[in-house]
Amino acid sequence: MTEKEVLDELKTIVVERLRFDPARAADMTSDTTLPKGVDGSLGLDSLDFIELSVGIEERFGIVIDERQDLSDEFLSFGSLARFILSKSPAA
Amino acid sequence: MTSDPSSRVVVSGLGVVSPYGLGVKSLWTGLSAGACAIRPVTAIAIEGLRSRVAAEVPAEALDALGVSRRRSRADRLALAAAREALADAGLDERDRRGAACVVGAVGGGMYEVEEWYWEEARSGRPAPGQGSLRSVLPRAHADAIAFRFGLCGPRETLVMACASGAAAVALGADLIRDGVVDTALVGGVDALTRICFMGFNALKLLDPDPCRPFDRERRGMSIGEAAAFLVLEDADRCRARGGRAHAWLAGAGMTTDAHHVTAPHPEGEGMVRAMSQALASAGMAPGEIDYVNAHGTGTPQNDRIEALALARVFGEGGVLVSSSKSLVGHTMAAAGSVEAVVTILALEHGLVPPTANLTDVDPAVPFDCVPVVARPTDLDAALSNSFGFGGQNVSLIFRRATD
Amino acid sequence: MAGSAAPAPSRGRSRVVVTGMGTVNALTSGGRGAVVEALAAERSGIGPLRAFAPEPGGSGLAAEVDDGRLAALIDGAEARRLSRICRLAVAACRLAVEDAAIAPGAELGLVVGSEHGDFRSSEEFAGGYLRRGPAGLSPMIFPNTVMNTMASVAAIAVGARAASVTINQATVVGDLAVARGAALVANGSARAVVAGGVDEICEIVYRHLCRLGALSPMGGRAPEGCRPYAADHNGPVLGEGATFLVLEALDAARARGASIVAEIADMAWGSVPAAPHAGGARTLDRGSPVRRLLSARARPFARCYGAANGDPGVDDWERALLAQDLGKGAATPTSLAPRFGQHGGLGALRVAAAALDAAHGGAPVLVHGIARGGCRTALIVGESSAA
Repeated sequence: MTEKEVLDELKTIVVERLRFDPARAADMTSDTTLPKGVDGSLGLDSLDFIELSVGIEERFGIVIDERQDLSDEFLSFGSLARFILSKSPAA
Repeated sequence: MTSDPSSRVVVSGLGVVSPYGLGVKSLWTGLSAGACAIRPVTAIAIEGLRSRVAAEVPAEALDALGVSRRRSRADRLALAAAREALADAGLDERDRRGAACVVGAVGGGMYEVEEWYWEEARSGRPAPGQGSLRSVLPRAHADAIAFRFGLCGPRETLVMACASGAAAVALGADLIRDGVVDTALVGGVDALTRICFMGFNALKLLDPDPCRPFDRERRGMSIGEAAAFLVLEDADRCRARGGRAHAWLAGAGMTTDAHHVTAPHPEGEGMVRAMSQALASAGMAPGEIDYVNAHGTGTPQNDRIEALALARVFGEGGVLVSSSKSLVGHTMAAAGSVEAVVTILALEHGLVPPTANLTDVDPAVPFDCVPVVARPTDLDAALSNSFGFGGQNVSLIFRRATD
Repeated sequence: MAGSAAPAPSRGRSRVVVTGMGTVNALTSGGRGAVVEALAAERSGIGPLRAFAPEPGGSGLAAEVDDGRLAALIDGAEARRLSRICRLAVAACRLAVEDAAIAPGAELGLVVGSEHGDFRSSEEFAGGYLRRGPAGLSPMIFPNTVMNTMASVAAIAVGARAASVTINQATVVGDLAVARGAALVANGSARAVVAGGVDEICEIVYRHLCRLGALSPMGGRAPEGCRPYAADHNGPVLGEGATFLVLEALDAARARGASIVAEIADMAWGSVPAAPHAGGARTLDRGSPVRRLLSARARPFARCYGAANGDPGVDDWERALLAQDLGKGAATPTSLAPRFGQHGGLGALRVAAAALDAAHGGAPVLVHGIARGGCRTALIVGESSAA
């Protein structure tokens, strides 16, 4: 999978599970930041991140350990896509 | 909840159906032995979920409740526990008629509705059991109890997640302090449901193994089911009719974090206020509390923040703390009332029930959490915490009744 | 000993006044002006069911809140995270708090009543699992499967940090919420409480009620419609919406120059012995707090609002109970069900209407309620002598 393909899958998750407007999702890029408190981000909070993790686990067949501090990996779509690729069984 | 020490409320009856079985006695036997009642799940299918354990009411106890099997599982637990509490208090028909009925509930009769709904989804055809919908709502328990036992006072069903059972005690006591009734049957009930188990699973809040509150290696909660009821009474009225008090309900505090739908306030702000208000309403100083029965779910977050809040109120190491959820699991809407009963029993017996499964206390929890073995101690006053999902906090204070 | 927040000062009993209202109903949304407008409107909020296809042989009528009007009250970022019933509750609580111009804080409580809660979300949550297994379970939806979800989000929205309580009951849950809210103010648990009720019309609840034969036309007897107390009444019509009042301690309201509408002069709630879901004129009150309150009244009420909603089991029962306690000459109460449909906010609308009536002076107004299963309520709303 390429980083772009992962990004597209993430956008689908963000629309289906996090209920973002599809039109808004179309404009999201790998630079789009995610967490609340970061200027211009999607404003995701802890519950959004749990939902996002479950979606990622289902879509990509990986396991995310919630005990790990993954705030760097979840900072932007780009960092998240690279994290997912690093964990995927078949790149 | 008012600062009016002249309005005094006692607890004159107790009734429980717990993961140990039927009755207050079996609850205390299990707790004092530190026997963990969290076992492999049998009542629901749990394939693909991260936890395989829960604290269920044993099948033999369910069969012996003496309540019609046509009723929902949750209604049956509630009726059996309410019956024991009323009998324990020795209320006559006239007392019962004047009594309020305040019940904390969340899942209602969902266990049976899920069975029906799952079957329809699986088969694609109408399934029997649609009648279970008539008992699905949380109010079903109070409606059934009030009718069955002839209670004509104020009837209220409170849905406040994990704080429901404790809120029922606090708001039932208000009815007595406010002079509306002399007597109130208060409590909470929740039966195991798929939605609850799966929901906490989805939030990654379940421990795959029996929960380990306050332990450094804790991973989450264990779900339980139970019903617990208390009879609250105006102290003078109880004495006048020759009733006996298990304990005084000395005070209560109810607050809201108004912070986040699932995460508690990071500094336990609402928890601190609930405990402080309970102390103020009891006219007591923190140093007078000998034991805290914690909310203690075993999630990394709750236990850390609750410990922070406890330290703010009592000072580090300022009070003995233990979590009954380590023994009977998190019984949801019943938890606050089960734990009120536990706290009262601790006062009566001078024995603090332990925190089970605790081998290595988290350094962020600067308290003696009574690991594994129950602790005999002189107990005069104790506080019980229930902190519901959505930031709804209830703290109750009980004092030993000295006759 | 380690410090903690200073203990709350001792308070005696407070008088309780209404200082604000907020409503999102089938006719209007807004503060007290919207309540006035809805009560004065020529038309009813009940019309043909629009949200989904009616159940064959079942009810084809409902009092629905237009989704466009609701969308205008909640912005997109907030709406993303709120289920529909939560949006109704948040919108109405905010409107009430704005109408009262009351500040958020540790002295502001919240009481939310609901008949069915967020069943839409429960169905969605279960459906995710049934379609896709454990991976289909949505963590975000799960909190909505517990009926306190509306209170959780509304408390955050308005900054209510005193007690927040959710009550579940049929028919009179709005009345119960206001009564409990008033009790929390009266005994000093909170300086002010936002109290009221909310329900939405969702398909799973609607179809269940149709199959139970709980909606007009009950027993298939045409014509369909909400005709409380009428000889040809044949069941309730579903409504949806949220209505909340701000209840405040009189001295606090005066001190901040609040605009006081009326006073909750007294209230009681209790049980008439009846099996769950049962109702009927033959079952009389055996001495509940409501009977004690009403039978002790010497002077008649200016007006009575009742919970009757076209369900014969409720209508006839209410008439019999009021005759028992107020005498056989008691006038037929006013029902707001034909205007707004049966839902959790209706009881709060009744209290709001009574408060607006009482504001004009004269004898107090009674807001009475009875539900199948026997939950009975009474609130007495009078002119505030401080107004």
